[in-house]
Amino acid sequence: MAAPTINEGAAVHHKPFFLWRHLNKLRWLTLIIVFAMLVLLPFLHIYQTYTAAHAYDLLSPGEKQLYDVMESIAAPFVSDPAEDLDAVKGNTWSGSFWGFKISDPLAALGQVAASLSLYWPFLLTALVPILATIIFGRFFCGWICPATFIYELNSNFASWLRWAGIRVGNRRFDKRIKYGVLALGLILSAVSGSVLAGVVYPPAIIGREIYYTIAQGGLGAGTIFFLGTLLFDILVARRGFCRYLCPGGALYALLGRYRLVRIRRIAETCNDCAKCNVVCEFDLDPLRDGFGQECNNCTACIAICPTDALTFTIRPSDYPEQGPGHLGQLYRKQQATEDTDAAS
Amino acid sequence: MERRTFLQALVASAVAAAAPSTAALAASRSSLRYLRPPGALQEQEFLEHCIHCGQCGEICPNRCINYFGMENGLGSIDTPYIIPREQGCILCMKCGEVCPTDAITEIERDFEAILSGVDMGHARVDESLCLSFQGKTCGVCYRACPLPDVAIYVGRLEQPHVTDECVGCGLCERSCIQLPQAIRVFPTRA
Repeated sequence: MAAPTINEGAAVHHKPFFLWRHLNKLRWLTLIIVFAMLVLLPFLHIYQTYTAAHAYDLLSPGEKQLYDVMESIAAPFVSDPAEDLDAVKGNTWSGSFWGFKISDPLAALGQVAASLSLYWPFLLTALVPILATIIFGRFFCGWICPATFIYELNSNFASWLRWAGIRVGNRRFDKRIKYGVLALGLILSAVSGSVLAGVVYPPAIIGREIYYTIAQGGLGAGTIFFLGTLLFDILVARRGFCRYLCPGGALYALLGRYRLVRIRRIAETCNDCAKCNVVCEFDLDPLRDGFGQECNNCTACIAICPTDALTFTIRPSDYPEQGPGHLGQLYRKQQATEDTDAAS
Repeated sequence: MERRTFLQALVASAVAAAAPSTAALAASRSSLRYLRPPGALQEQEFLEHCIHCGQCGEICPNRCINYFGMENGLGSIDTPYIIPREQGCILCMKCGEVCPTDAITEIERDFEAILSGVDMGHARVDESLCLSFQGKTCGVCYRACPLPDVAIYVGRLEQPHVTDECVGCGLCERSCIQLPQAIRVFPTRA
C-alpha cells in the first residue's frame, strides 16, 4: 500500500525549514517584477500623454485598448494620471521614486570621468546602491539587473541546446578582463566628454531599449549590442558577458569585495556532490569555499544543495578552505587513514 | 561575439572618441537642426552631465523628446533632442525636475523663470514663405506660441515678428501650415 512507513514520516518531520533555500524563488520574483516594471512604465507613460491631451476620442482602436488596460491598472492608485504617475520614472540605470532619485554607481563614476568634476547632487543618488553593495556585495547583478533576467533565461536555453546535442561554448577567460573594460570605459568617457561607460552596460541598455521600443517607436543601436552579448554567452562562454566583460559588474565586485553578508559552506553537512559548482552562473567554487568578490549572493547554490550545507553568514571575508565535506567519501577515507595512522 | 571582435570594436570607438571632440563634430553638422530640452546646459557641458537614462523623455507629456542613435556622433548617443517640426516643447518643465544629473537644469514652471532660464533656440520668420507676408492673413504661429505678445507679436495682416524673448520651444514651427515651414527655430547651441 502507499501508506508511508514510519521511517519516511520521520524523515519528513526531521527536515527543518531552511529559509535561505527559498530565496532563489524570491530572487526570480524580484527579477520578474523589475523587468515587468521596465515594460509597464513606458506603457503608463503613453497612457499619461493620452490623458494629458484629453484625446480619448481621437485614439485609434488599438490605442483605446492600451488606454483602457492602463487605466484599469493605474486607477486604484492615482486620481490624476497625467500628474500622479510621474511619481515613478526611469529604469535601473537611474530612476526616481516620489522625488527620491537612485542611480547606478557606474553612472556616477562615469559621470565623474566624463566631466572630470564632482557634482554632488547627482553623486549622492548613488549612495544607497553603494552602501547596499558594501553590505550585500554584487547583489544587483543577481537580484535586480534586468539583463540578468534575460541572461539566465539565455543560459537555460543554452543548456537545452546542449541537451539537444548542439554544441554550445563553455570557454573560460580571466575574470579580471572586466576590470579592464571598466577602466577603458572610464578613460573613453574622460576623453570623449560623454558618459560612454553606459553604452556597453546591459542593464542601462535594456532600460533604454525597452522604452525606445514601446514609446519611441523603434529599437536603438543598444539592442544589436545586447543581442551580440546573448550570442557571445551561447557560442563562447556561459554567462560570458557578466563574468568577463561587464563594466558595471566589475565596479560592483570591487565595491562588494569586503561585503558583510556572504554565503559560506558548512563542511560538516557537505557531501562533495559539487552541484553548487555546476549551478553557479559565475563559475565560482562553493565546493572549495571559493566565493570571492565575484559572488552575487544569488543563492542558486543554496537552493540546489541537497544537504543544506550552504548558508548565509556575516563576515567580511570568505572562510579559508575547509577541506572535503564530512558526508563525502574523501573525508571518510581521510578519517580512516588518520585512524589507522593513530592505531599504528 | 568573439572577444577579439569586441575588443576591436572598443578600440575603434576609442579612436572615434579621441578624434577632436565628438561634440564639436556634432555642432558642425548644420543639417541636423535639433533642440536640447528646455533648461539644458551648453552642449559640451550637457554631454558631460547626461548619463543617457532616458527619464526626460519618459516624463514628457507631449512626447517631443527623442533620442539620438549614432547619427550625431558617438558622444551624443542616447541623448535627448527635440525636432520642433515633429513635436514642439510645451514648457511643462518636468524634464528638468526628473533629470538626476541636472544636465537639464530644474526651472520652475513660471513665466519669469522660463523667460530668464530657458534658451533652447530662437525662431526666425522667412518672409518669402510666410502667408501673412504674402497678403494671406494667417497668424497660426502667434496663436500657437505659449508666450504670445512677449516672444512673438503680430502686425498688419497678422504678420509675425519674433522678439528677443523667444525661448525656442518650437510650437510655432510645429503649427506652421506652410511647407516648407515659414517660421523655424534655430538652436542657440555654442
